[in-house]
Amino acid sequence: MARPKVAFFDFSCCEGCQLQIANFGEPLLDILKLIEVVEFREVMSEKYAGTLDVAIIEGSINTTHAIERIKGIRDRSKVLIAMGSCATIGGVNGIKNAFPLNDIAEYVYGGDSEYFESIQTMSVHQVVKVDYFVHGCPIYPPEFVAVLKAVLMAVPYDVPDYPVCVECKLNGNVCMYDRGVTCLGPVTRAGCNAWCIGNGNICYGCRGMVSNPNEKGSIDVIRRYGLSMEHIINKLEMYNKCRELNPHG
Amino acid sequence: MAYAVLQKGRFDDFIVALAAQRKVMAPVSKGYGHFEFEEVRSATEIALRYIPTILPPKKYFMPQRETILQYTSDSIEAVVDFDPMAIFGVHTCDLAGIQCLNMVFSERPKDYNYLVRKNNIIIIGLECGDYCDQYASCAMMNSEMPNGGYDLFVTEFDEYLLFHVSTQTGEDIVKSTGLFETADASHKSRLAEYRKKKKSIFKKELPIDSKDIALLFDKCFESKVWDELNDRCLACGNCNNVCPTCYCFDVIDEPALDLTSGVRYRRWDSCQLETFARVAGGANFRENRGARQRHRYYRKFSYPVKKFFRYFCTGCGRCSRACMANIRLKDVLMDLIKAHPLDNA
Amino acid sequence: MNRQILKSSHFAVERGTIVRIKTLSPHEKLFEIALPGNARLNHDPGQFVGVSVFGVGEAPISVCSSPTKRDTFDLCIRDVGRVTHAIHALKEGGSLGIRGPFGRGFPVRLLEGNDLVLIAGGLGIVPLRSLVQYVINNRRDFGKVSILLGCRTPDEMLFGDEIEQWNKRIDVHFACTVDRAAPEWHGHVGVITTLIPGEMLVPERTFAVIVGPPVMYKYVIGELLKKQIPDRQIIVSLERHMKCGLGRCGHCQIENLYCCQDGPVFHYDEIKHIKEAI
Repeated sequence: MARPKVAFFDFSCCEGCQLQIANFGEPLLDILKLIEVVEFREVMSEKYAGTLDVAIIEGSINTTHAIERIKGIRDRSKVLIAMGSCATIGGVNGIKNAFPLNDIAEYVYGGDSEYFESIQTMSVHQVVKVDYFVHGCPIYPPEFVAVLKAVLMAVPYDVPDYPVCVECKLNGNVCMYDRGVTCLGPVTRAGCNAWCIGNGNICYGCRGMVSNPNEKGSIDVIRRYGLSMEHIINKLEMYNKCRELNPHG
Repeated sequence: MAYAVLQKGRFDDFIVALAAQRKVMAPVSKGYGHFEFEEVRSATEIALRYIPTILPPKKYFMPQRETILQYTSDSIEAVVDFDPMAIFGVHTCDLAGIQCLNMVFSERPKDYNYLVRKNNIIIIGLECGDYCDQYASCAMMNSEMPNGGYDLFVTEFDEYLLFHVSTQTGEDIVKSTGLFETADASHKSRLAEYRKKKKSIFKKELPIDSKDIALLFDKCFESKVWDELNDRCLACGNCNNVCPTCYCFDVIDEPALDLTSGVRYRRWDSCQLETFARVAGGANFRENRGARQRHRYYRKFSYPVKKFFRYFCTGCGRCSRACMANIRLKDVLMDLIKAHPLDNA
Repeated sequence: MNRQILKSSHFAVERGTIVRIKTLSPHEKLFEIALPGNARLNHDPGQFVGVSVFGVGEAPISVCSSPTKRDTFDLCIRDVGRVTHAIHALKEGGSLGIRGPFGRGFPVRLLEGNDLVLIAGGLGIVPLRSLVQYVINNRRDFGKVSILLGCRTPDEMLFGDEIEQWNKRIDVHFACTVDRAAPEWHGHVGVITTLIPGEMLVPERTFAVIVGPPVMYKYVIGELLKKQIPDRQIIVSLERHMKCGLGRCGHCQIENLYCCQDGPVFHYDEIKHIKEAI
């Protein structure tokens, strides 16, 4: 059986998620037995213009050129995977949406800003249909493998719709709030096996929010821990600003 | 009643000797006032004074993630993974929790995965002389005193540890290590004194008789207390995951990279999560967070009473400690008591 | 860590072979399954099995053929989730995992000698079909038999050919309704409850069996109670998220009942005080 043709494409991003894949180590060899990588700018110079079985997209969409390009990729791809926070939820690039576009353009390009168009940052599914989501900044490699298997078996992959706390507790971690640190685990969807907390860091909310957070309850909790709303909103907006455009996905 | 004495100076020798026979799990400090059962090799790692661990020792009987089946393109095999081990330092509340789980998994259709592991675990209990903190309600749940469910049970005194030897397995450990002295009348009278003092410390935490809690739950299904929890609960599942008697699970397949072989495992699941009672068509039979909290409480104080004739709350207080939304079991019960006075009260 | 193969485990799965696949609608297919050596599934009408596609998972599916059919059994599966989607991709001759049967089925012994009103709404026809086939195959053991079917539109009606056969029988009273008619539909229009008032039922000897979407039960039971059918003689099959089939994993729990073990079939008197039930 011919291996499915897979290509990686990057839009506005740091390419760190693709680096995660390049850095996979030994499992990568097993993965390459299953797929044929025809384009992957970070690791090979070949390009591929034909029909793709799977397109893997890293990065968010924030220029009209990018909109056209992602539509073109979608048109020639049977399956499209959004990979990494920038692609799945807009990610840190979404912070841009908190400011007037002109101010942002001027801040970045100064006097030359008139030569650069600027549109609001969008996640990939806010522009084209996305079949699979691999959330995270960067992606959690075991989840990428799980999604890839689902793609190859032609079954959906359900992103957990419960908070990171579930996986964090299962790992027996001391709660960050008991250490006196603010953590976004309670409102962020799981699937990363509480990777950051397990390594002593907080959850930054990079996987996006659960679909039905208890807003009233969350506000109570924020108050009880003596935190300011502004502090929490700032933390949430680091990855979740694009949620306002279209919260689903 | 057989008792044996271990001088404190020999405690480390005991743990080392036990660890030479099998894995030894015991409470270990994780900082920030938290503890967790982990594998230890010497007594210095063990926290003899500890508040209930983040996860209960349930995790050794029913691991968070547990393979139940392995398959290839031409074979399907039901499997169990187990490690012979001794769990040292199990508080009486957690002994009660294990007793609850034993009933659940021994009932037909039997759960052989649980039973194989249970048969490979030696349990060494540890007595609490005082409350761990304000969240415990072990006196109300009658779990502050040892009530079976262990091979050995340890009560700590200034200079020695007094072991109650409850089973032949326990006796074999005592004999094989060769570190123990026989207990005499003075040791036993000191234990009696200790227990007497303990009875004066542990008092029913709420103004309700244990046997009346089930009656209270017979009349509070539609209580406003649950509506209030609907506004507060974040549905994070912490209360389930830290509970010594919650046993719900999800079953998940994990194919290997060849896509034709793989394993099926079960993983702890939480009735508080949004998707728990949702069916494939989309209907969610417990959509409301308050109804889910109610379900959790009824699974502790009502439903198991009908089936197993005991409460499935051990009073350990973990759900209260782990709740970010400040939903405290004792407060919820107190609210119910106030809102639904019993006729005879 | 030691791994041991369990000779007896309720998680053990048998490999079933797909003998035949029949497409019933754009969303539903009928799979005829044989166990190794054509072993009998040995189920009661109304019981369910866990159906596995390894690597994807397991889904609870009610057996929709009568145990009187011996060598194979039927599963009618709607493409609605991960596992059922993967099952739909399988071909004749392919295999899937079978675990079970589980649960309490329809109390066929209790129904014998009595009049039956068998009521199905929408996909409820799937579990009910096992009972209808059983009753028809043992027709003289039962009194008067009425089958009342309802669905949203005529093209959503499953098992059309088979239902036509039921309709033609002289020993079965058959009625069918749709919520919304199509031009070629000449039958009854209206929700399923509208079929009940016209039925002549003798309360002492009538058992009613209801299977349908959650919203249907309350109204149909209300109509039957108006006809003086005793609570004990109203039988329902409830849908819940059945996962382990062993009364443990908790997903299917209805207050203190586990739908997968205590049900899915219940007498109304057992659940009328259970607020989470219907």
